[in-house]
Amino acid sequence: MSAAGRDSADGAVARPRDVGARVAAGIRRLLLATAAGLVLAGIVHIVTILLIPILALGDANHAYRALGTGGRAELIASAGEGRSLPLPRETDPATVTAVCSYDLANGPMRVVARTGTLPLGLTLHRSGGGVIYAITDRAAIRGVVEFVVMTEEQRDERLANDEEGESRELRVVSDTDQGLIVARVLMRQPSDKADAEALAGGVACGMAD
Amino acid sequence: MRVFHLAYVIALGAGLGLTSAHFAVAGRPLLGMVEIGPWKAWPRSGGRDIDPYMRAWLARGVHLPLGAGEGLEMIAERDDQGWLLDGRCRYLLSGVTPTTRGWTLSVTDADGRAFRLPLDRSGFTDAEVLRDEDGSLRIAAASWPQAGNWLPLPTSGRFQLRLRLYDTPIATQAGETRPESLPRIQRIECP
Repeated sequence: MSAAGRDSADGAVARPRDVGARVAAGIRRLLLATAAGLVLAGIVHIVTILLIPILALGDANHAYRALGTGGRAELIASAGEGRSLPLPRETDPATVTAVCSYDLANGPMRVVARTGTLPLGLTLHRSGGGVIYAITDRAAIRGVVEFVVMTEEQRDERLANDEEGESRELRVVSDTDQGLIVARVLMRQPSDKADAEALAGGVACGMAD
Repeated sequence: MRVFHLAYVIALGAGLGLTSAHFAVAGRPLLGMVEIGPWKAWPRSGGRDIDPYMRAWLARGVHLPLGAGEGLEMIAERDDQGWLLDGRCRYLLSGVTPTTRGWTLSVTDADGRAFRLPLDRSGFTDAEVLRDEDGSLRIAAASWPQAGNWLPLPTSGRFQLRLRLYDTPIATQAGETRPESLPRIQRIECP
């Protein structure tokens, strides 16, 4: 009788210890799973941030892909009226913007801009985001800003063909085949609008050869 | 039990990862921001060394940021004392602007759009503004008419001031620019 009583007493002591160990193991597992979840969250966060520009369909490169394919930059404002193009966000109302999209799969593109009295800036926006080149009319030679946009392979090819080093062209390497050339002209006064539109819309962008 | 843990890890990872990514690029990211007095700028947004957060934020809308060699955009949401800009108040913008080929100063909402106001003026360019005898700038911003350079504000609510400097040497060294070389934003009165 006394032995049976001792047994039951031992069982009563062992059970809470068992439960405590089980709870501790459960908490440990939960903490481990939370840590794994946080690591996974970090990975998901980084991958999402890096994928947004690649998968984005509502960015400027998609919106203005059809502009300027005719060899001349097109004004966003005037093109927007007929084709319901979105206007760029956060744009300066005192500037006029014209866009020329490029696709280097068919060969390098030559950009020629004549300068005027109003400040002109030309920028290259690669597809997937990022301005890879910017030049202003202060770099103009005899009133003309001219450069050739090409891929790295096309540049190597041109360098190989120009062993004498005679070519004086300004070569700009784009790490993506597609992108936008943006011409922006600042209107100092509202009355400069016509001049600014002529300057921005006068930027030529055709095949280099 | 193992299935429960796996589901918990995936739910936590995906939920937290996607939510944090969404909020990180819902507005202009804090990474890469330079503060000069009340003005904020993101000088790397127009260069090759753009950070992934700014790149993701720009890709979420139709943005054509100024190139690093083209110019620099600065945004102010608060005045010199740190109060949020409010359309009911009257402000004085004074001081100088850095060396530029041209600049514009405009009033916008939080998304960078101009307000629709009865008077068709959302900003000034350097050629339009009248200067003091010593060449310094004085612009009065209020929703009711002011003498001199009057920048109309919306009658209520928050607004932003955007200073765009074109062809400026400070675009590449925005971090070293001192607040004295940019216009001050003083709150003169507020009901």
